[in-house]
Amino acid sequence: MAHAVISCLHANHAALEAVLADIDQQGIDTITCLGDLVGYGPQPNEVVELIRQRAIPTCQGCWDEDIIEGLNACDCSYPSQLAERRGHLAHQWTAEQLSEENKAFLASLPMSLRRDRLLFVHGSPNSQHEYLLPNMDAFAALERVETAGADTLFCGHTHHPYVRELRDGSIRVRVQEGVASGGPSVEREINLPVRRIINAGSVGEPRHGNTNATYVVHDEATDSVEIREVTYDVERTCRAIVESGLPAIFAWRLRHGFEYAERADDASHVCER
Amino acid sequence: MSQTLLISGPPGCGKTSWILNRLQNHRGPCGYLRLAGYPDEGLAQAPDGGIDLAYLQDQCPRLLDLTDLDQALAPRPEHLLALIELPQFQSPAESGLGGVDRRVIPQLEALHLRPDEHLHFGRDTALPRQDTLDFSSLQAWQRNLAGSVWDPASLSSFWFELVNGAYGDVYRAKALMNLPDGRAFFCNWMVSQEGSQFLPLQTIAPPDCRPERLSRLVVQGKDLDPGAIERTLADCLLSEALPHPSPAA
Amino acid sequence: MARWALISGLRGDLEVYEAIQEELRQTRRVDTLFVLGDVIGPARNCDALLSRLQQPRRGELQPQCLFGWWEDQLLAERGYRGGRRADALRLSQGETAVDALLQAVDPGHMGWLAELQFGFIELDCALLHASSATVEDSLGPDSSPLLLLDRLTRMEVNRLFTARSGQQFSIELTGGGIESQVRDLEGQRHQQQSVPKRQVIGIGAGVNYTIYDPGTDRFDFLTAGSRSQERARGFA
Repeated sequence: MAHAVISCLHANHAALEAVLADIDQQGIDTITCLGDLVGYGPQPNEVVELIRQRAIPTCQGCWDEDIIEGLNACDCSYPSQLAERRGHLAHQWTAEQLSEENKAFLASLPMSLRRDRLLFVHGSPNSQHEYLLPNMDAFAALERVETAGADTLFCGHTHHPYVRELRDGSIRVRVQEGVASGGPSVEREINLPVRRIINAGSVGEPRHGNTNATYVVHDEATDSVEIREVTYDVERTCRAIVESGLPAIFAWRLRHGFEYAERADDASHVCER
Repeated sequence: MSQTLLISGPPGCGKTSWILNRLQNHRGPCGYLRLAGYPDEGLAQAPDGGIDLAYLQDQCPRLLDLTDLDQALAPRPEHLLALIELPQFQSPAESGLGGVDRRVIPQLEALHLRPDEHLHFGRDTALPRQDTLDFSSLQAWQRNLAGSVWDPASLSSFWFELVNGAYGDVYRAKALMNLPDGRAFFCNWMVSQEGSQFLPLQTIAPPDCRPERLSRLVVQGKDLDPGAIERTLADCLLSEALPHPSPAA
Repeated sequence: MARWALISGLRGDLEVYEAIQEELRQTRRVDTLFVLGDVIGPARNCDALLSRLQQPRRGELQPQCLFGWWEDQLLAERGYRGGRRADALRLSQGETAVDALLQAVDPGHMGWLAELQFGFIELDCALLHASSATVEDSLGPDSSPLLLLDRLTRMEVNRLFTARSGQQFSIELTGGGIESQVRDLEGQRHQQQSVPKRQVIGIGAGVNYTIYDPGTDRFDFLTAGSRSQERARGFA
């Protein structure tokens, strides 16, 4: 059975419609959403309502959390003062626009979803704010999947779709215990399991070099993963950004395939708040 | 033997870079003068606001400012290389000194300057060939940034947006920008060349107070949106409390 | 270069602290004393020890202290951690333990406790109560090497000194590697990564403490008041 995983919709209704149409066209009826339904984009209510209407199982993203709990991310999640000011502006606008019912829906979302040995999270199993980048330390990446008790971890948050397989891992250690046991040092080697991280990219705010929405399809029968790119009516969303009173620079950035705010430099940073 | 050169060319053709190169390669004393230029039909000359002189003086600390009347009246040092920069859109009708815009002559005479040679970018083969663009109308916009200090990461984002057209079709942008650690950068971009230059000034301002040196942004282009630039600037410049603490600290 | 003494888990026991200070006074070339948290606990009144840490006697090493799990619980319960309370303690040891902890520390010490840091980075070593992940993370000789490597990687250090488990141990990562294959819209990339040579050292708790010589990378696991001192060799 093939299932689709979407993430980071960012209130971009045209992009979500196009992606859902692409999924429907393939006859796929299991969809999982990894959060960030809102933030920066102009149609937060429409996007939340479409996800609710389609009854798509969804876990909570960092924007979804911040909108209902007040700004929760620390300043370090923004790479610059400019990005932070724009982020706060988008936050305030979105919080004003979202209906109470839709806020309640976002508040009800779980931090993670699990189906057998598949785990679905927004950022990482540790935090909605942690970025699992494709080039992060391979042992640290494996640790995230392994500690969470999964074989395959689906995540989003980076807006960069990728499939990463970690295999043939081993670690040798020399262990020495202290006064209590007093024994000599012991050497041992452990073999690490094969694990996989699949990042679904972003429906509403691509960060992969062009304006296409991205998501992934996982075929469990063949265990294959396809990264899909979908064109959508970018101008429709850009017009809506300007008409809604959001900063015009958001439309310019979306139109050129640049994310609204670059991610923080320290990708491994976990917000302590 | 002293030499006085008049260098002209359209904005962004590389006059200042060429001049800096000549100044750095000259062993004797050097002087510099930047003339304002004259608006051509529909083409605004961007006021440079002293950016070029400030940058060249930083790079060549003993550079004489030829606008200084005291120096104009003093005997010229031997082997002086005097370079005069003149923004000029159109290629002169005549070659050599005959092509010098007559309007600049009285200014130069008042400063006791008489060019031995006139070189124009796009006309004279002694100068590097640049892709000078054909443009029909040009706006200029500038902002005095004296005392302003940039959040470095925000400067990088803003500059990226500026030169990639987020605030209008920018043909040329140059600036002197202060950073919280006391450094300043000469930022330079022209549409005909790939990439931006970010050149650190050699002089460092004390990091515990607002820098007093010249700081300015000059933009030339079409359909510029100064309001949007101003809004972004407001989000990029640091408020009081210097140096700005890094969030990671 | 002089040596470091690393202690933890005093839990209000001034006598043990004095015994360690006395040994350090006699042991030459120890110039820095790190106290990796858990200076308080619910079992006894901690005020005398807290006062001493803040005002060392003449001839004593000035302690450099971090907060540990017990300090974190107290700070939470006293409202220094936002909305969080001492839930972990309440869950594991009940309301009585929370009350006992509140009783064990005079509120006058809260300002000093609230100023304590989470960790120190010294040279290429991280000194932490637990790990870079949380103050609760108990690393020991049986911890998964993958987990240890992750904790070392997060801090970008070669050595991590930890105290939370209370055990004295050393785990050196000596070899191994992993293959990684990434596919994205640009294509496929293959990467081979080796296990870096790094080490996690458990410094012990209470009377058990550790001396570390950063110059030679040697450490000794010691027990205050014990003559039989086992020596462990660090890697050169």
